[in-house]
Amino acid sequence: MRLAAVWNFIAGDSRLAPAAVLVAVIVAVVMLRAALPSTAVAATFAGVIALGLAGAVFEHR
Amino acid sequence: MRSPATRSPRGAAVLVPRGFLCLMNGWALAGTTFLASGVEAVEALTIVLAVGVARSWSVALRGTVYALIVLALIVVLFGPLLRLVPIEQLKLVVGIVLTLFGLSWLRKSILRYAGRKALRNEDAAFAREVSVLRAAEDAQADKIALITAFKSVLLEGLEVAIIVVTFGAASTLALRWSALGAAAAVVLVAMLGLALKQPASRVPENTMKFVVGIMLTSFGTFWTGEGLGIAWLGEDFSLPVLAVFYLVVSLVLVAAARVPRQARA
Repeated sequence: MRLAAVWNFIAGDSRLAPAAVLVAVIVAVVMLRAALPSTAVAATFAGVIALGLAGAVFEHR
Repeated sequence: MRSPATRSPRGAAVLVPRGFLCLMNGWALAGTTFLASGVEAVEALTIVLAVGVARSWSVALRGTVYALIVLALIVVLFGPLLRLVPIEQLKLVVGIVLTLFGLSWLRKSILRYAGRKALRNEDAAFAREVSVLRAAEDAQADKIALITAFKSVLLEGLEVAIIVVTFGAASTLALRWSALGAAAAVVLVAMLGLALKQPASRVPENTMKFVVGIMLTSFGTFWTGEGLGIAWLGEDFSLPVLAVFYLVVSLVLVAAARVPRQARA
């Protein structure tokens, strides 16, 4: 099985949604290292993922 | 959902008794795998019924049983294997996989609700499969039918097997809850198929996919966050909060992406 097929199986045909998850993880790591309140990190983390969903819905491919 | 052995106090206020939350999240796990398995089982049932009607019921049943054995082996082998990985790294990986799965399911169902993607038609899929199988040469027909039934059950079930295994990675209890939900859905859909002997076209597949998408994204967000070291306010109680958040976002997106009636016609 090709790697692209496995990736497509997990993430579907959107490019923005996986990119948003990656951005959310990076932003959360940076915020946690900066010792920001965990509630703010949690809200930002979920917010970035939600933005990724919105981007994926309007993503025309 | 954290197992008691891996849970560490973080000082966050727990508003509801922990046992209740574990039970609630157990039901949420079972409910999610029940719905996910239900959707996939309905899609697989359509193909299995087509094989039964076009060729023979014994071939359809054999293909189904072989695929279910392979799926059960995947869950039994990979479920406990995942628990060898340190819990924090595991939560991160499992959380990311669940989030990606969830976003993919949610995106599709939002696009279908908004009229930007066609709803799946089980009757049409059934008719298409029956005509393909009836057109097959007699010498090869049973072999093709067996492979068709096997492949459809295996492919539709693989996604569910991954969800069950990743959910079950948290603890043995979580694996039991998620496997229970999946098994219940498969049994229910199989009974429905036996009783109806026709595709379950009235099952609200898109609504089920929508709910599963929200639950997978919520669990995925929660576990990824835990893997990164985020202390969720209220711990497990933040799971239903995340689910409500993603529900609201999704409903707004359905409304925003909706294609006007004139454009659809």
